[in-house]
Amino acid sequence: MADTTWLTLAPAFLLGLTGLLVLYVDSIGRSTKGPIAVLSLLGSLAVAGVAIALPDALGLGPAGWSFVSFTLLGMFALALFVQPGSQNRRLIAGLSTAGAVGALGVAAAFLFTFDGEPVNPFGDALVVDGMSLLFAVIVASVTAMVTVASYNYIAEHSYQAEYYALVLLAGTGMTLMASANSLVTVFVALELASLPSYALVAFLKENKGSVEAGLKYFLVGALSSAVFAYGVSLVYGATGSLQLTAVQNAITGEFTGMLGMGVVMVVGGIAFKTASVPFHFWAPEAYEGAPAPISAFLSSASKAAGFVIAFRVFTEAFLQVSESAGEFLVLGADWVLVFQILAVVTMTLGNLAAVTQDKVKRMLAYSSVGHAGYVLMSLAALSGGGATATAKIEAGQFVLAGGMMHLFVYGFMNTGAFLFIALAEYWDVGRTFEDFTGLGRQAPVASVAMTVFMFSLAGLPPFGGFLSKYLLFGATVNSGFVWLAAVAIVNSAVSLYYYSKLVKALWFDERPDDKKPLEISSRPVGLYAAVIFAAVVTTAMYGVFGPVSDAAIEAAAALL
Amino acid sequence: MAGELAFDIAPAIVALPFASFLAVLALGNYMPKKGASAGIAATAGSLVLSLFALVTVAGGSTYQQDLFTWSGAEEVPLHFGIFIDPLSAMMLVIVSLIALLVHVFSLGYMNDEGETGLPRYYSELGLFTFSMLAFVMADNLLMAFMFFELVGLCSYLLIGFWFREDGPASAAKKAFLVTRFGDYFFLIGTVGIVATFGTSRFVSTESHTAFPVLAEEALAEGGHGVTTFLGFGPEAWFSIIGLLVLGGVIGKSAQFPLHTWLPDAMEGPTPVSALIHAATMVAAGVYLVARMYGFYALLPTVLAIIALTGGFTALFAATMGVVKREIKQVLAYSTISQYGYMMLALGGGGYVAATFHLMTHAFFKALLFLGAGSVIIAMHHNEDMWDMGGLKNKMPVTYYTFLAGSLALAGIVPFAGFWSKDEVLYEVLVHGLGSAGTTGTILLVAYAMGLVAVLFTGFYTFRMVFLTFHGEPRTETARDPEPVRWNVKLPLVVLGALATVAGVVNMVPVEKVLGIKGIDYLHQFLDPETELVSNLTAHHYEEVLHDVSGYTADATAFGSESTTVLISAGLSLGLALVGVGLAYALYGRSPTPEEHTDKLGGLKTLWYNNYYQDEYQVWLASGLTLPLAKLADRFDQGIIDGAVNGVGRTSLTGGSYVKRIQTGIVTNYAALLALGLVALLLIVGVTGGWFA
Repeated sequence: MADTTWLTLAPAFLLGLTGLLVLYVDSIGRSTKGPIAVLSLLGSLAVAGVAIALPDALGLGPAGWSFVSFTLLGMFALALFVQPGSQNRRLIAGLSTAGAVGALGVAAAFLFTFDGEPVNPFGDALVVDGMSLLFAVIVASVTAMVTVASYNYIAEHSYQAEYYALVLLAGTGMTLMASANSLVTVFVALELASLPSYALVAFLKENKGSVEAGLKYFLVGALSSAVFAYGVSLVYGATGSLQLTAVQNAITGEFTGMLGMGVVMVVGGIAFKTASVPFHFWAPEAYEGAPAPISAFLSSASKAAGFVIAFRVFTEAFLQVSESAGEFLVLGADWVLVFQILAVVTMTLGNLAAVTQDKVKRMLAYSSVGHAGYVLMSLAALSGGGATATAKIEAGQFVLAGGMMHLFVYGFMNTGAFLFIALAEYWDVGRTFEDFTGLGRQAPVASVAMTVFMFSLAGLPPFGGFLSKYLLFGATVNSGFVWLAAVAIVNSAVSLYYYSKLVKALWFDERPDDKKPLEISSRPVGLYAAVIFAAVVTTAMYGVFGPVSDAAIEAAAALL
Repeated sequence: MAGELAFDIAPAIVALPFASFLAVLALGNYMPKKGASAGIAATAGSLVLSLFALVTVAGGSTYQQDLFTWSGAEEVPLHFGIFIDPLSAMMLVIVSLIALLVHVFSLGYMNDEGETGLPRYYSELGLFTFSMLAFVMADNLLMAFMFFELVGLCSYLLIGFWFREDGPASAAKKAFLVTRFGDYFFLIGTVGIVATFGTSRFVSTESHTAFPVLAEEALAEGGHGVTTFLGFGPEAWFSIIGLLVLGGVIGKSAQFPLHTWLPDAMEGPTPVSALIHAATMVAAGVYLVARMYGFYALLPTVLAIIALTGGFTALFAATMGVVKREIKQVLAYSTISQYGYMMLALGGGGYVAATFHLMTHAFFKALLFLGAGSVIIAMHHNEDMWDMGGLKNKMPVTYYTFLAGSLALAGIVPFAGFWSKDEVLYEVLVHGLGSAGTTGTILLVAYAMGLVAVLFTGFYTFRMVFLTFHGEPRTETARDPEPVRWNVKLPLVVLGALATVAGVVNMVPVEKVLGIKGIDYLHQFLDPETELVSNLTAHHYEEVLHDVSGYTADATAFGSESTTVLISAGLSLGLALVGVGLAYALYGRSPTPEEHTDKLGGLKTLWYNNYYQDEYQVWLASGLTLPLAKLADRFDQGIIDGAVNGVGRTSLTGGSYVKRIQTGIVTNYAALLALGLVALLLIVGVTGGWFA
């Protein structure tokens, strides 16, 4: 029987293929239409001929050859029917959204039918398990919301197909990050996610801020990638393996310093992706300069993908779990200590910086750094305590699951918040808190949604953010890290200040006299739909929190 | 059990007034009579259904149903549920009947007088009726507490109906605060009961046991199966939580020392006084004790306190009623005093007597308030009795119904109040005589206070009647009072009839003296023989009182039982007649009575100023609580807010420093990033011993 395990990567494939399809559709222009049609038709016929004549060539088999042939035939059909020119804007956005939603549907269906047995498509370099599916759901949801919102946001810009294709390809990379099971696939997936992101941040070519942000993001990213690649090479040098489990097995106690340096540098590479201090410098600039939907995409999906790598690499390669003794044996270097430092520094610095911002988008950027700090706790508190061996292991699982759940909820509330900023940019409202005054009266529905996001980010009931923060902080306490949870709670309290500052501006503050009156002429459907959807999910999290957190706990249990 | 139609539709008893509340709230201005019709229809519906339930209960069934578990904690589920047994069915009928009559009366008192804000008035009445009925139906203490609070809120809203005037607004606040003070203890008591027994159910079901039963078992087995706190034994601990719950009772039923809100509450519209501050809400406290009597019956100390509080309040409030000038003030103190009797009965082991008096009092006191309301309409809202006089001939319906109510209140045979008050006193007397030791003494002391109060009751009641209706009119308005319509007279007539004859449901003295068996209908009614409520029956309470609390009834202290009955009844009737006669001598004989109370001198001043209760309570608030609160505030401002502000300031300052790191120059970022990495490597290296 043919090997069908590659099908488990369907979410990633769907995103990637949709990206390619979008590019293809865009390439059908007035002048290229004829040649493309002829070429694809000829190609299709030729492949069909090969299928009949040499069915076993290249090992594809008759089914494989017919698939290629029909794909080419479909491309021919598309070339015939697609109207060249600006009309296909809607088609491209629609295709992208359909691809993202399809990936979301498939990932969600896989997640809820997942039987607990991890699958390794293409050897051990990739793995599909509960955690990778959960994060595929997160990434695909964010991608879908971003593509829907972008329909209005980039309406006036050229190179739209490239934009959507880059979003989808970055999404592919992030989904693959969730499945990467070897340091080299981790690196490749990470770059696949990063490179499109650099271009996306700089997408607003006419905007100096956007271009500058893209460049800075790229430079810091290059440096971090170098650090990461160097770390990987050191680990490889010390263990002779790249596959995560193999690395764990190969750690013997030799080359302590070299392995340790490698581990810390791997932390560095991941810290870049998750925007953790001190690798966060790009984040405020990139989030502020980028088109707001891209900020949403990077701060939610990209961050989640960074964390899924952290969760997998450090629990699979650099941690030995002794079920009987209830012990977590930290390998390589004391990375738990590193994450403790990073968690405290990241959340504190992110929140402190957010407090003093007077531009809303930048405040959200720093808040995103702060939230990375909270999630870092799930690795920082991993080696925690419990009364019995089982309780110790369970405490570790809970805290890890808490991090996953917070990323899940964060995927909606933070994306929604940035998309609200996208809406404000679309309306040309302005950037500062003062510019947002009185928006509640002008755009009540969107402002209610933003209020939901702010309160949820601050962790107030009855919104999703409360539940996930409660789970995460509670699990941290449960692991014996009361001090860490206390730091997080103080930070959370500080964050309430700047979140509610925006709510106050939206609803209560008088608009300063020197500000021009708000004029909101249109209600962009795509942006509204995405924002409202995110708000509804954030509010309705109570309904789905149970099953999703069960999935997260199972995923964490599979890792530990 | 289930399947009885009356029980299946029982939730509608509560739902109808709630629907009326919502409808009137939303659409009151567009409804006929500004929402009164909806209220009347809803309460009439509730009354019919309640009567149906009462008849079904009288047929020997009871009903308990969990409706909704709102806190799903597995060990201690908290739920809403319905419980209909004789006691609650009787109370349902009383509440819905009075509510209906008060709605009708309000047509005359509010609509005809051209008041504004009527939709608010009727929606609040609807909310009150809903809450009160739900309180009565509650099958657990926590649910009861919630609706207890809700009726308190409605009371606040309705006392302050004319909130633009100073008096009602401040009276409403006072009522709310004073009753809340009691409820605070009630809440702790409720939590205590849930924590101790793991449930607050009044009634045992197939799968759960009621907390009074658990308490009984725990006492029998030396504290097994319950959790006590603070190192107390079960008996002491149960007494503590019993007293805590009693705090709410004392506040709501206006018992000493938390009675001070009730006279002020007379600032509210008179129909509200009749409904809330005479017949129903004030009864909630007494009803609550009766509802969980199985628990209180286990606690002799608490019972003694209840009896003493009741007896003292009865006497204490009656004395103040003697000197009041305003008709509603007299009635307010009389209400406090009468609830004192009910508490006395409960403390003295007379469960049925208390319930009986609760019922008759609801009728005759609602009647008196509505009668006073009628007089107030006639007098153009002048309430001073010294401005009245001679109204007898001008408003005969009001006069005769009011007279019936007064005779009942004074306890003159054969009006309803006589039978119930007599039974209260009789029960306390026989238990006092029969019980040994301190219990007996305390009960006899409480009995003595209750007995003396009878004299005062007769006096102030008829002083009120004579001043209002007899003699010469003392003012122009009294000479030419405003006529009242059918909507005022009808409720008066209904209640007048009930106040006259309601006593027949429980003519125990007649039964005992003449030996006619089986006319103690209320006794039989409250002593049903169904499985569900076997722990909630009058004879079970009697047994528990005897076995656990050492209460023994001795009816033969003066020879035979009928002698005792006759002596007791004769004493109370005689004293009541003396009081009435005194009132007649002082105020009824002369057509132009003088203010004889002035002759009391210092005593009058003391009584007129309500024993300076308000003054010391105000002092407690301003002289003691305020400085304490200021101290707490200083702590809050200094330490707590200081810490919070400190965090805020630190984060703002810290934030501006952090901001400076973000220079915008990418080479700086690269440098900082690299330095950060080196720092991390150093930390890990040093702690990991790489350089060792």
